[in-house]
Amino acid sequence: MADRNHQPQKPITNRRDKFSSDSNQSKSHNPKPSNPISNCRNDTVSAHQDFPALMGSCPFMCPVEERIRRERLRDLSVLERLHGNPAKTSPTLAVKKFCRTISTREMQASDLRPIPVLESTLNYLLNLMHSEDHPFEVVHDFIFDRTRSIRQDLSMQNAVGDRVIHMYERMVKFHIVSRHHLQRSCGTPNAVSLYHLNAEQLMKSLTTLLNLYEANRADSHSTFLQSEAEFYSHYLLLHLDSKNQGEPLSLWLRRIPSPIMKSREMRFARRILRYYRMGNYKRFIHTTENEASFLQYCIIEPYINEVRILALSCISYGGYKMQAYPLVQLSKILMMEESEVENFCTDCALETSSDGATGKGLMSTKQLVVNKFSSGPHKYYPMNSERVHRLYAELPEL
Amino acid sequence: MAAYVSMGEAHRRITEYLTRFSDAVSYQDGQSLSRLLSVSSNSPALLSLADALNTYQDANRIIRQSEKYSQYTDILVPIFRALQSYRLRNLVEAYVAFEKVSNAFIQEFRNWESAWALEALYVIAYEVRILAERADIELASIGKTPEKLKGAGSFLMKVFGVLAGKGAKRVGALYVTCQLFKIYFKLGTVHLCRSVIRSIETAKFFDFEEFPDRDKVTYMYYTGRLEVYNENFPAADHKLSYALAHCNASKEANIRMILKYLIPVKLSIGILPRTTLLEKFNLTEYSDVVLALRRGDLRLLRHALQEHEDRFLRSGVYLVLEKLELQVYQRLVKKIYIIQKQKDPNKAHQIKLDVIVKALKWLEMDMDVDEVECIMAILIYKNLVKGYFAHKSKVAVLSKQDPFPKLNGKPVNS
Repeated sequence: MADRNHQPQKPITNRRDKFSSDSNQSKSHNPKPSNPISNCRNDTVSAHQDFPALMGSCPFMCPVEERIRRERLRDLSVLERLHGNPAKTSPTLAVKKFCRTISTREMQASDLRPIPVLESTLNYLLNLMHSEDHPFEVVHDFIFDRTRSIRQDLSMQNAVGDRVIHMYERMVKFHIVSRHHLQRSCGTPNAVSLYHLNAEQLMKSLTTLLNLYEANRADSHSTFLQSEAEFYSHYLLLHLDSKNQGEPLSLWLRRIPSPIMKSREMRFARRILRYYRMGNYKRFIHTTENEASFLQYCIIEPYINEVRILALSCISYGGYKMQAYPLVQLSKILMMEESEVENFCTDCALETSSDGATGKGLMSTKQLVVNKFSSGPHKYYPMNSERVHRLYAELPEL
Repeated sequence: MAAYVSMGEAHRRITEYLTRFSDAVSYQDGQSLSRLLSVSSNSPALLSLADALNTYQDANRIIRQSEKYSQYTDILVPIFRALQSYRLRNLVEAYVAFEKVSNAFIQEFRNWESAWALEALYVIAYEVRILAERADIELASIGKTPEKLKGAGSFLMKVFGVLAGKGAKRVGALYVTCQLFKIYFKLGTVHLCRSVIRSIETAKFFDFEEFPDRDKVTYMYYTGRLEVYNENFPAADHKLSYALAHCNASKEANIRMILKYLIPVKLSIGILPRTTLLEKFNLTEYSDVVLALRRGDLRLLRHALQEHEDRFLRSGVYLVLEKLELQVYQRLVKKIYIIQKQKDPNKAHQIKLDVIVKALKWLEMDMDVDEVECIMAILIYKNLVKGYFAHKSKVAVLSKQDPFPKLNGKPVNS
C-alpha cells in the first residue's frame, strides 16, 4: 500500500472559482450543512464545502495500515508498546496519530473512525490520565496528540450533534486540567513548550466547541445545553488579557445570547474580568479562591501570579517609605504562605527587611516593579487555601 | 402582490427598460444607469417592470432580438431574473441572480475608460450587500446555513481590487470599503477589516483627502469603532471626532450613532458631555454614568450598567464603561478630601481608610478596610491619586500639590 501520510500534498484550496457557492448538493453522507465545522480546520487542509464528507468505517482505535507501518518504523509511543517492545503493539494499545499534512483527496473511509469508535477511543485515552506508570508529561503528550487526531477525524467527517459536542467538552476539560499540571512542573524547557502547545490547542478546541453550540442552537431552534454556560465562561476566563488574542472581548460579548450572559458561571467570569481589568488584586485573588470551580481555577491560575506581581508593585510603590509593609499581611492578601512571600519578593527584585516588632516587611520603592517574568508559567506559588486544596482532591470527571 | 398587466403593456415596459439601459451606457449616463440597477429600492418604475416580467415570462427573447440589447445579455438576463424574484419575495434567488449581474457589470466596468459609471457601481455594491442580507434571513428561516453575506463580502473584496489602482476610478474605493465594513461588522468577522484598512491607509494609490466627504465620515466612524473595541482611546477619539466634525449637521441619526461611541471614549479620557447634548440626541442611557462620575457615586455607576446592560453589551461599550469605576473612586476620595478641607484645612490631606469604608457603606457598597487599601494602592499606582498610604495607621496621605491629577485627554494608565 502506498504510504500516504508523509507526502506533503499541495493543499486543496481555491475551489471556489470552479464551484459556485450553492452548487454541490451531493453531500449524501452529510446530513447537515458543513459550515460550522469547516471553520475549524484543526490543521487539515481540506476544503469541506467542496467535497462530500466521508463516513468513517475504521473499527479500530488505529487504522490497521498505520499500526503495521508504525510497528515497522518503530514509531510507537511508550504507551503503545506491547510488553515494552518498541516494535510491537496491538489493536488495544495503538491509537491513530495526528497527521499534519493530510488532504481530503487522499483520505479513505477506512482511515477514518466513525463516532462510536472515536467515543471509545476517547474513553480509553482519558482513562490514561489516572495511570501512574509514566511521568505526567509523557501521558499528556500522548493524549494531546491522539485527541488532536480524534478532532481531525471528526472534522473530516463534518460531524455535528450532541455526541460530538460531548466529546469536545471532554477534550477541552483535558486541556484545562493539563494546563494546571504543566503549570506546576514548568521547570524544564520541555514543560514550557508543552504548556504553550497545550494553550494553543485548548483555544482551538474551545473555539470549535462554541461554534458547535451555535450550530446546535440554530438547528434545534434555540435550546441551550446545560453545559454551555460553563464553557462560555471558560472562554472568557482564557481571554482576561484580551489584547494579545485576536478578537477583542467587546466584540465577542456582543454575540453571547442573553441566557448565557446571565448564567452563574458567566457572572463569575465577568466579575473576575472586572477585577482583573481594574487591578483589584484583593478581590481577584479572594473571589477566585472562594468561588472558582476546579476547572475555572485551572484557567485562572496563570493569571494569579501576574496579579500578585501587580499587587506587590502597587504596595511597594504607594506604601509609606518609613514602614515596611508586613509580610504577614501580604501573605493574607496574596494568599501565599508567609515563607513563600519572602522568596516571591526577592524574585521580583524587591527588598524585605526586619522591622523588629512587626516581623518582616516589604520595603517600599518608588521605582516601578519591572515584570521580570515572560508570559507563560513562572515559578509556581500555590494558593494557600483549604478550599483550593480540596478542589485538587476532587478531580472532575473527564 | 404582482399586479395584472396586459401582454402588450408588459412588452412595452420591458422594451422601455432595455432602451433606457443601452442609452445610459451609450451616453455614459451614470445616474440613469444606477437607477436601473437598484433592485431593492422598490421604485415604481422597477416594480412595474417586475410585474411586466412576471407576466411576459420570456423577456430574454426580447433581449436577443436586438444587437443594442444583446451585447449586454450577461447583465440584462440576470437583472430581469433578480427583479422578478425580488418581486415574488424569493430573496435567495434574487441574490443569486444579482450576484451574476454584479460579476458581469464589473467585467464591463473594467473596460469603460473614465469613471462615469462609479455611481452605478455604488448601487451594485450596495445592492449586493442588502440582497445578501435578506437572502440570509430567508435561509435562516428555512433552517439552512446563511452564507450569502459572506459571499457578498468576497465579491466586494474583488471590486475593491478593481478600484485600487491609478486612475479616476480609485475614488470609489472608500465607498466599497464602507460596504465591506458593514458586512464584516454584521457577520462579526471584524478582523477582516484589517487588510482593507491597510490598503487604504498605506497611501500607495490613495490620497485620503480626495475621497468624498460622506465616505470619509463613514470610514472614520467604522475605524473609530474598531479602535473602541481595541481600547485604543486616543486613536478612537481622533477618528470619531473627525467623523463628528465632518458629518452633515442635519443628519441627526448619524450624529447620534457617532456619539454613541464617542461618549464612552471621552469619558475614558476624562471629558464629560453636557446633559443637553445627551438629551438632544437621545442618548440618555449615559446620563447616570455621567452623573456617577460627577458625584463619585459607585452605586449609581453599577446601577446604570445593570439597567442598560443589554444595550451596552450589544454596542460593545460595556467593558469601556465598566472601567470608569476607577475614575469614580477617584472622585469619591476627592469629595471626602474637599469636605475635610472645609472642616480643617491643615489635616485635610490625611484620609483615614475607615472614612472611605464608611462613605462606601453609605453608598451601600460593602468593602472592608483591606479592600479600600487595595483600591487606594491602585489609584496611586495609576496616578489617579498622588500620595501614599500607611498600612499601620490605616491612613492615606495625599500630596499637598495636585493630589488628584486630571486625565487631560489621556486614558488611565494601564
